[in-house]
Amino acid sequence: MTKAHTILIVDDEAHILQVLSLKLRNCGYSITTAVDGEDALYQVKACLPDLVITDVQMPYMNGLEFAHELSKDSKTAHIPVVVLTARGHTLETSDTDIPNVRKVLSKPFSPRGIAELCEQLLANVPIRASEKRDAA
Amino acid sequence: MFTDPISILLFTVTLLLAVMSIIVALKLKARESAAVVAMQIAKQDAEEACHALDSAKIHACIDRTHRRQVESVFNVLRDAVIVIDAHGEVLHVNEIASGLLNVSIESATGKPIAEVVVDHQLAATISDARSGLPKEGRQYEQEIKNDGETVAYEVHLQSVGHQDEAMHAVVTVLRDLSREREIALLKSDFVSKASHELRTPLSSISAYVEMLVDGDAQNEETRQEFYGVITTETQRLQRMINNLLNISQIEAGLMHIDRIRVDFQELVERAVTNMKPQAKEKNLEIHSQIAEVDLSIVGDGDMLYQVIVNLLSNAIKYTPEGGRITVAADTDNLTRSLHFSVSDTGLGIAPDQTDKVFDKFYRVENYRHVAQGTGLGLNLCRHIVETLHSGQIGLESTLGMGSKFWLSIPAERGQRKAA
Repeated sequence: MTKAHTILIVDDEAHILQVLSLKLRNCGYSITTAVDGEDALYQVKACLPDLVITDVQMPYMNGLEFAHELSKDSKTAHIPVVVLTARGHTLETSDTDIPNVRKVLSKPFSPRGIAELCEQLLANVPIRASEKRDAA
Repeated sequence: MFTDPISILLFTVTLLLAVMSIIVALKLKARESAAVVAMQIAKQDAEEACHALDSAKIHACIDRTHRRQVESVFNVLRDAVIVIDAHGEVLHVNEIASGLLNVSIESATGKPIAEVVVDHQLAATISDARSGLPKEGRQYEQEIKNDGETVAYEVHLQSVGHQDEAMHAVVTVLRDLSREREIALLKSDFVSKASHELRTPLSSISAYVEMLVDGDAQNEETRQEFYGVITTETQRLQRMINNLLNISQIEAGLMHIDRIRVDFQELVERAVTNMKPQAKEKNLEIHSQIAEVDLSIVGDGDMLYQVIVNLLSNAIKYTPEGGRITVAADTDNLTRSLHFSVSDTGLGIAPDQTDKVFDKFYRVENYRHVAQGTGLGLNLCRHIVETLHSGQIGLESTLGMGSKFWLSIPAERGQRKAA
């Protein structure tokens, strides 16, 4: 089990942040949260997460712009990004055609399904020493 | 009687002369008759010719009248109309077509279609339609460039004439699809926004229910918290659906409202009383500045109460703890209207967003994480005030300095209390 990986969850809806954080913490992950793209960029630099889950529609910088920013930086380009969207069919495939975006999920989503996806995406990502220490 | 030869000769000569005279006279008479007949025929011919000429003039006059009538009808149409004859020459273009083709109606008439219509595809299509069977129209969509702008048109072609003729006249109608496309885009944008806003509380409800089912809420306190979120989000969804239905009913002109005399002061006081607990939670003061005048107006009390509550609720949501909210109501004798406002010491709204806050699903971006909303409340307020009560609603705001939402509603009849 690749537990104690760090996951950054970005959403401006407090309830979504809360429910995803709890689900993934219950699965053993270390969780960081942000409420918009700008805040998320700051958090990425601060904690360098192993995975990012982000909403699309957010103030200041939307989720896709944020994912694009991550893909441009060699230090963060490797971080897989899961995009959650409530825009449904109006989101064009070309919009999410960003190298680090690994999955686009429509809201409403299943926390159980998100946990399984995280497990899958982090299966081959080694846990960094600092995280092992934190988890311990 | 005459015995001598001379007398006989004279008598004979006289007789001959008489007979000749009679013959000559008869001949002259006959010629006269022929001339009269000829003259009569000529006169008749002339009369017929005159009649025919008159008739031709009348017909030409009728044709011109008909043509003018038909042209007038064509010019009333908002669509471009181009009519060509079986030879491919323009019989008529209406005013809209004249504008579209950049030609005057007079200069287009009589010219081959290819000289009038610059767009080769359209000119060829119209020309080809002459060989089509009458009553078998053709319809397609085409983009046409006009003054550097490309506009989508629905082109309808219809040939007119007898079936046994090889070529026919053609009536072409071009309908500008810009407005329809614009409406389709607005609809799509609305559906997209509605979908987003409805899915958001639905996501919370669905996720929290699944967490409860999966046992992720490990103690009673967490479970109670989850039930609370589910209840709140269900109510939010319900409010959104109700607002949406109300707005669409008002927009469709189907909303029935009770127009009775309403005491606006009572509505304000009731709303303030009901909202005070929410304000208290954030340590906010609500001040009332209600003028000592008759504030009754003719309208729908429930709807107006909803407007007051929505404005107060927004002020409470977006004013930081310890702030101040002021509700004011008065009448304006000059405009014979009621004025109401809700001012706060909240976050304020940037000038480029003040007009948009009344749009459907518009949420001030940096407010989204401050408080939840349906994105429909202010739009519903605008509909209730402006559409249903012929009033006005507006906003004065300075970023970081608070906002003042105001409305004015015609009082319909003077209600100021006698001094």
